[in-house]
Amino acid sequence: MARKSQKKFEEIVERFVELKDTSELMIDLAYSSLLLNSKELAEEVQKLEEYMDKLHTEFELLVLSSKFKKEEAKGFLGLIRLGVVTEKIADAAAQIAEVVLRGIEPHPVLALAIEEAEETITYTKVTENSPLANKTLREAKIPEETGMWVLAIKRGDKCIRPKLETRIQVGDILIASGYAEGEEDLKKLAAP
Amino acid sequence: MPPFEKIEYKPVTVREVLREMKNLSELMIDLAYSAALFNDKDLAEDVLELEKRIDTLAYHLEMTTMVAARDAKDAEVLVGVSKVAAATDKISDAAADIAAIVTQNIGVHPIVSEIFERVEERLTKAKVNEKSVLVGKEIGELKLAPRMGVDIIAIFRENDWIINPKENEKVKAGDILIARGTHEGLRELKELCEGKLDKLED
Repeated sequence: MARKSQKKFEEIVERFVELKDTSELMIDLAYSSLLLNSKELAEEVQKLEEYMDKLHTEFELLVLSSKFKKEEAKGFLGLIRLGVVTEKIADAAAQIAEVVLRGIEPHPVLALAIEEAEETITYTKVTENSPLANKTLREAKIPEETGMWVLAIKRGDKCIRPKLETRIQVGDILIASGYAEGEEDLKKLAAP
Repeated sequence: MPPFEKIEYKPVTVREVLREMKNLSELMIDLAYSAALFNDKDLAEDVLELEKRIDTLAYHLEMTTMVAARDAKDAEVLVGVSKVAAATDKISDAAADIAAIVTQNIGVHPIVSEIFERVEERLTKAKVNEKSVLVGKEIGELKLAPRMGVDIIAIFRENDWIINPKENEKVKAGDILIARGTHEGLRELKELCEGKLDKLED
């Protein structure tokens, strides 16, 4: 295959993976907003929903402007449809977050169902004596140590979406997803 | 068109049904992407089956919440439960949409699959080599989730898919595992399957 078209395919797939990852992050954040009854997190989901719309349009335009050969077209139709699905997942996440934004007090069974799920969501406050304090996420190596993935950091009224360079501060609330087994490890790290 | 399952009221535990709907909807998304990625029709069919299960659960949950509401205040609290359940149903619909891309022979381009597998960091497929330390072990005893943050969501064995394998399921040589989890964990699992790594670290 010509190198030029290979590069184009790479770009399209990378854009799609961003759509996919964003839609899944939204689901996790939406459940987190319920668990913490947090409007900040729910608003973050709504913001991501707008961002998804933009991403999705860019993705579709990129695919449409790629001048595929007839035999390639079907395979890319599949990809376009996958893009539409990510949008649907994002909508579902926004629907969950809306419950919080409408001021509906989340029923206790919701928190229980989320906490008892296979892929759970947990939150923990970083205390002064935590080895995580003042480390960047890159240095903290939380996924390697605990198997948990930090979705968001709640700092006061703000909700930060973490990058590897983000520095963890004392008092931060880390919101993380992963398998239930990693929850204890994370809590021990954050608040020993 | 297969007939729909007849729905009759039966009281269900809202907490358990919600938990199952959440688990299933997320499992379905990962299985559906795997089906699309590896262009596997059987796996896609299994996703469509699970979708029916969620639909049935959604009916039972909705009826139970209706019966549970005695006054306006109850209704205000329960509407949230109902909305969240509807959202998990929507997520499972989305997974079924992905599966339909495969069952309707549209598929995704092989180049897309190849790049996707490289870029996507949450899902992987690995074949269990006969030299692998995993052979003969039960999934539960491997403790993959606490050790490396990964979970085996499906096993392909003897032309059949085992979906969401149980703790006591033994890994066999020749199995194809589909797993989800952290990037580092998946890489480790792949090396274990291929026999390149022969120790399970704590």
